[in-house]
Amino acid sequence: MLDTRTKAKLVEQIEAIVGPDHFTTDETDAVLNAHDAWPLSEAKIRAGETLPLADVIVYPSSTEEVSKILRVANDLRVPVVPVGGGAGTCGGTQPTYGGIQLDLKRMDKILAIDGESLLVRVQAGTVGIDLEEEVNRHGYTTGHTPTSLRASNVGGFIATRSGGSMSSLYGKIEDLTLGLEVVLADGSVVRCKAVPRHSVGPDLRQLFIGSEGTLCVITEATLRLFPLPPSRHFRSMCFPDVHSGLMAIRAIFREGIFPSVVRLYDAEDTALHVSTHFEVEEGNCMLMLAFDGRPEKVDIDESISARICIENGAKDYGEGPSKYWWEHRYDMYYPTKFATSGFSVGDTIDIVATYDRLENVYHEMKRVMEAHGAAVMSHFSHMYPNGGSIYMIFFVSQPDAESAWATYREIWDDGVAACLREGGTMSHQHGVGTTRSTYTEAELGSSFEVLKKIKEVLDPNGIMNPGKLGMGGHT
Amino acid sequence: MEDSEAIEQLRLCAGCPKMCRHMCPTFLAWRSDSPTPHGRALLMYQDAKGTRALDERAIEVLYQCLECSQCLTWCLPQVDIATMVENERMRLVNEGRYPRGLDKISSAIKTNHNPFAEPHGKRNKWFVPTKTQGKKILYFTGCTAAYHENGIARSTVSILSHLGYKVSVTPDEWCCGSPLFRTGFRNLGIEQARHNADTLNKSEGEQIVVTCPGCFRAFTKDYPQLGIELKKPVLHISQLLEKHLDALRAVDFGGPITYHDPCHLGRHSGIYDPPRKVIERVSGTKVVEMARSRENAMCCGNGAGMRTLFTDQASTIGDARVSQAREVGAKFLVTSCPFCKNMLASRAGKMLIVLDLPEMVLAAFDSTSKVKM
Ligand SMILES: Cc1cc2nc3c(=O)[nH]c(=O)nc-3n(C[C@H](O)[C@H](O)[C@H](O)COP(=O)(O)OP(=O)(O)OC[C@H]3O[C@@H](n4cnc5c(N)ncnc54)[C@H](O)[C@@H]3O)c2cc1C
Ligand code: SF4
Ligand code: SF4
Repeated sequence: MLDTRTKAKLVEQIEAIVGPDHFTTDETDAVLNAHDAWPLSEAKIRAGETLPLADVIVYPSSTEEVSKILRVANDLRVPVVPVGGGAGTCGGTQPTYGGIQLDLKRMDKILAIDGESLLVRVQAGTVGIDLEEEVNRHGYTTGHTPTSLRASNVGGFIATRSGGSMSSLYGKIEDLTLGLEVVLADGSVVRCKAVPRHSVGPDLRQLFIGSEGTLCVITEATLRLFPLPPSRHFRSMCFPDVHSGLMAIRAIFREGIFPSVVRLYDAEDTALHVSTHFEVEEGNCMLMLAFDGRPEKVDIDESISARICIENGAKDYGEGPSKYWWEHRYDMYYPTKFATSGFSVGDTIDIVATYDRLENVYHEMKRVMEAHGAAVMSHFSHMYPNGGSIYMIFFVSQPDAESAWATYREIWDDGVAACLREGGTMSHQHGVGTTRSTYTEAELGSSFEVLKKIKEVLDPNGIMNPGKLGMGGHT
Repeated sequence: MEDSEAIEQLRLCAGCPKMCRHMCPTFLAWRSDSPTPHGRALLMYQDAKGTRALDERAIEVLYQCLECSQCLTWCLPQVDIATMVENERMRLVNEGRYPRGLDKISSAIKTNHNPFAEPHGKRNKWFVPTKTQGKKILYFTGCTAAYHENGIARSTVSILSHLGYKVSVTPDEWCCGSPLFRTGFRNLGIEQARHNADTLNKSEGEQIVVTCPGCFRAFTKDYPQLGIELKKPVLHISQLLEKHLDALRAVDFGGPITYHDPCHLGRHSGIYDPPRKVIERVSGTKVVEMARSRENAMCCGNGAGMRTLFTDQASTIGDARVSQAREVGAKFLVTSCPFCKNMLASRAGKMLIVLDLPEMVLAAFDSTSKVKM
């Protein structure tokens, strides 16, 4: 929390920038902004605990206002936590050291749709679903379909390097973002031009993509568009185990086929999410595939993929489970009585690894997480020619808050340690935030120093989202 | 709803990753995480659990809710925010902790029996009795049509006469109580309800027709819940017109027509098809549906005290609804609620022609083959 004098000065200057209606110091607003969708925050809220609060929440309407606000914050050495949709899962928007929460939701304009170059220029506060529906009306898709599409916004997607469920075909947000406008801690506005490729030194866009508010505030982006696919087919294949499913997935990519969806559910996840609607033999693992494109191409891709699966021991389930998942893909995120009762908490460790390590990472993580009495279920959720990600989902329930939160932390510690030991990377798409902050150095190894040095240059006063991405506290 | 059930629902919602927020009109209007379904639930949960009591701002956030129930359509565990907000408002009013801006409405209803502080004596000034001798029907006009949307009231009487009804209105009609029930002034609402029930039960009409979905919901849902009985059938005008489709005149409206589902008629009373059937009969064309329609229709922004307390944000919501109608190329935006019509017309300017259902039906009766507007 800020001292009274600094807060008074800050408020006066902020009011001069955004006017009286676009900031708040009310405790109620701070309480309502204190959490994102970090399951631990949600569990603590249910348990009646309180979370760290911001001193001021500001709602800028333009890049210019963002720049002025950062200049003031930098002068006064006040922490700034950017807020997108506030639906991140890692406590990234938590105002750990108080200060300003800079909420971008008013910057929600879709500035230009360019059908010639297949681009859309959009302000950072535009909610994903609003952008997708607007470009759909023009016959395009962004290809970015995370299940947080309805809650998260463009700035949040980019700040966390998020990935949609169709990233095997369309790519993650780092592949989809061509141009970027960001504001640095000193208020300077930096623009990275939208070009398909370039050869002018390192790609600075990629420095800002995934920086989680620790290096800059993202104010605008130019994203790629794709013509809406004329057809989408779903196909489901059931394997006797995870291994044979992964063999089939690798073989499909080797054929040069890029399905839009590739999700392989392990036996536990299949039992919980597939067997409830379809007859599946116990212990089997369901692979869900989708293919986007012209019908002729989709037919060929689908039939080759089906053949590969069957050669690897799969039973053909037709479109059923895959289509059902797509149509109900948001359902699993709604709270249920079971998952929210008592002192229960669950989370997902969304790791990523190359094929040579993926299975070991999976088995090891599962082993160490289950050792804490957690129910663990997983799916291989975003797959590529060289490897893919696993959603390691766990759930624990304890008799009291203290042991629930401690067990939660131990599962994370041991799960991430196992992932790193076996050569995986601790996040594919959710980011680091508060949850993974302390593991960042171990994850990045020698490159962590580079990140720290960049941070020191771009944000010498450490005002940008302190305590996240392994970059310490606010001084 | 039992207290324990309500707390269970609030508990679910307080930890929800905002799965319905994108559909909440007040999120759209404020672009902040405070006036949202999850935000409201969180405040009520913390209050109920003793974590943090509602302060003045929290109460304001609860009063920023339109009670439109759009969130319920998108909520898998069916957390009923609108009902819980309404119950909370009732408690706040009993404790005298409600936004003072509402006193304007409640005291106007108490003294003048309408929320606009218009003299009660002017309520039926618009009414010109017709000579039709048919089935007797009582038209409960509702405050908006009686004072601000006389065109709707007159159209209703004309159409009913065309259809052979002998229409009467009563000088003893008071506000149905809807604005009071929705904003937490339940006891005052009950006074209105009792008076209206006495009046209507004594009246001559064999059935009661209403044009206002707020009145319709009050009569068919609130009154029975309060144990107040209306001894005659109550029909919304769209239901009544649906029974007479063949007698309605069809003409060319000369442009696409879309329909806005009022929250009280649609989500709260389940009436979606009758108004559409009437529009299609009268225009000879299919209703061009907006992207958000029926169970998923967006509120017009006029609900539950919003326009009184937060005029600018109510207008932002009205503007968004008008834009949605324009997006589907509509020339006419028809609704079936004087309150919605009033809001939408005030935001549409010259971009669209906004009509209430009776106005549309009458325009067809009054035209030869093509409607001129
Ligand atoms: C139901 C649900 C489903 C999900 N599904 C997916 C999924 O399929 N794929 C996936 O990748 N993720 C998913 N997530 C996680 C999360 O929503 C995404 O990672 C998303 O990118 C976060 O965006 P947001 O706008 O909600 O960000 P916030 O939660 O608001 O912020 C996330 C981080 O980014 C920073 N930030 C936000 N905006 C800016 C900005 N403009 N400039 C600088 N920094 C900024 C914040 O400070 C914070 O550190 C899911 C989450 C939920 C709740
Ligand atoms: S109303 Fe339902 S969907 Fe909306 S936030 Fe609450 S629990 Fe989630
Ligand atoms: S009832 Fe309407 S205004 Fe109120 S929280 Fe739900 S969607 Fe929002």
